[in-house]
Amino acid sequence: MAGGGRVVIAGVATHWGSELARTLERNPEVGEIIGIDTSPPAVDLERTEFLEADIRNPVISRILPGLEPDVVVHCGVIWYPEAGRPSRALHDINVIGTLQLLAACQKTESLRALVVRGSAAIYGSTPAAPSFLTEDMARLYPLKTRFQRDIGELEGYFDNFGRQHPGITCCMLRFQYELGPGLDNPLTRYLSLPVVPTQLGYDPRLQPLHALDATGALAAATLNPVRGAVNVAPDGSISLSRLLRLSGKPAIGVPPVVSSLVLKGLGGFLGSADLSQDGELLMRYGRGCDNTRLREEIGYELAFDSEGAARDFARKESGVQSLFPSPHPGSPVRSIRR
Amino acid sequence: MNQVELAREWSSVVRSASERMVRRMTGEYHEDEWGFDEEFAEAAFPVSEFLYRVWWRVHTTGITNVPGHGRALLVANHSGNIFAFDGMMIVTAIQKEHPLPRWARPLILDWTLAQPGVSYLLRRTGGVAANPANLTRLLEQDHLAMVFPEGAKGFGKPFSERYRLQRFGRGGFVEVALETGTPIIPVAVVGAEEIYPKLGEIGGLARLAGVPYFPLTPTFPWLGPLGLLPLPSRWRIEFLEPIDLSGYGPGASQDRSLVFDLSEQVRETIQEGLYRGLVERGPAFL
Repeated sequence: MAGGGRVVIAGVATHWGSELARTLERNPEVGEIIGIDTSPPAVDLERTEFLEADIRNPVISRILPGLEPDVVVHCGVIWYPEAGRPSRALHDINVIGTLQLLAACQKTESLRALVVRGSAAIYGSTPAAPSFLTEDMARLYPLKTRFQRDIGELEGYFDNFGRQHPGITCCMLRFQYELGPGLDNPLTRYLSLPVVPTQLGYDPRLQPLHALDATGALAAATLNPVRGAVNVAPDGSISLSRLLRLSGKPAIGVPPVVSSLVLKGLGGFLGSADLSQDGELLMRYGRGCDNTRLREEIGYELAFDSEGAARDFARKESGVQSLFPSPHPGSPVRSIRR
Repeated sequence: MNQVELAREWSSVVRSASERMVRRMTGEYHEDEWGFDEEFAEAAFPVSEFLYRVWWRVHTTGITNVPGHGRALLVANHSGNIFAFDGMMIVTAIQKEHPLPRWARPLILDWTLAQPGVSYLLRRTGGVAANPANLTRLLEQDHLAMVFPEGAKGFGKPFSERYRLQRFGRGGFVEVALETGTPIIPVAVVGAEEIYPKLGEIGGLARLAGVPYFPLTPTFPWLGPLGLLPLPSRWRIEFLEPIDLSGYGPGASQDRSLVFDLSEQVRETIQEGLYRGLVERGPAFL
């Protein structure tokens, strides 16, 4: 992006929207940053202007062109219910919200690039799938779960928009699930359980994306968007069993017939709700993505590979500490040792 | 004196084993990007070695046709009906007989990878899902890959059709070999057809279990889990002359007739190898 460009972040109140705004604020190349969401971001942002608007509402088509953005980053695609965003609203937020945002982008003449923070969930989790899925393999297998179909529909609208507007660089980022110390999402909650239930007889290959890389790749794509879909995934892979061993977490294998029920119940408990089906398949067959486009075309250097992300998370979640919590929480000894 | 040495030796064996166990329990071991865990494969190797040496008395020839380094594609006939021991024995033969042993990476049928237990054992010992993308990536990384182009048709064929090679799919393995300039090494395995002779099948049960067929052998399922014990036939594995494809250039993979010709050439080579091996082996169980 040329110097002084204006960036609009839709969904700035989401964790990744706020993180992106914070990263862009530190970059002198970025001119104005405007954040749109239904509620103000939870963190303090220095030079990001906040604008209260709902992308599901057609009013967005009147607001967005007036902001004259060079780049619009859509961070409002959410993967699991959050506070104020119940699971039944997911389809509305993800599909209808994106559709309204695309309509607004169509009217925005200043727009040069549109970046969407999508999900690698579109690939699903299939035992027969290539171990490193490339971007052209999104519809290799039927879309099975509701979230997968939502993402599929969203990408369909996005592809159409890209074809109709060759002047706008449309970049769809397909993120693997994020992992990082301090991060709070259904995956980290799952891995932080005192005893982690796994599916007996299955040991999926996972690609946990470090939280720093998740933000870094999003910022890199905002500054240097490329056309089409781009996988945001770390190098290599790590099996769930090894991830748990590194974290010192005891795992308990649940037999296949029961595991579906257990995981459904667990999904509600961990806050992934309707997405427990995606999680169940992911924790059975795993998923690996190829990150060549991210590295070579967007030019983002990943700081952590799959193992590195797991180790960084494990350092925080050391089993000894969680099994025998320190009698003096926050004692200096622990922080020094770390 | 001798006893002291023995005790010292044993204590060091026990110590290193327990150290390894503790290390593995804390996740300190290596997995490559495909999920292959070499230490695990080595720990499981004595089982394969026993089957190779004692149970099936495998006789391997032509091992020098397998290159010690660089990309190569093993193409073998497939049989077994219940467990793909033929792939396991090819891997074992290269480990045991080759001057520069390396782990062959088998490409595994999709429905096998959906089965609990089997799926992760196969992955940890080097198996990957069979598709062109995985084969291409493996070969570009200069691995020794192994495919069974007959797939389920060969694996699950009845005993009466033993050693008759089935159709070789659509020749996808030839396309990838041409694109990546990989030599093809045909492999003829004699003996795996007799370990679980399939006399019939039950269609309904197969649909219920989500597998292509449910085999009936002289021992399975009549003897329960004991029926899963493979019969101790005598085996021969022959690694045949490599077929060099580097002269065709990468564009040649678009040429349908060339792909089919090469696929048929590989198929005939293996079939001839099978007939020769059958004669040389003599009786199946003695």
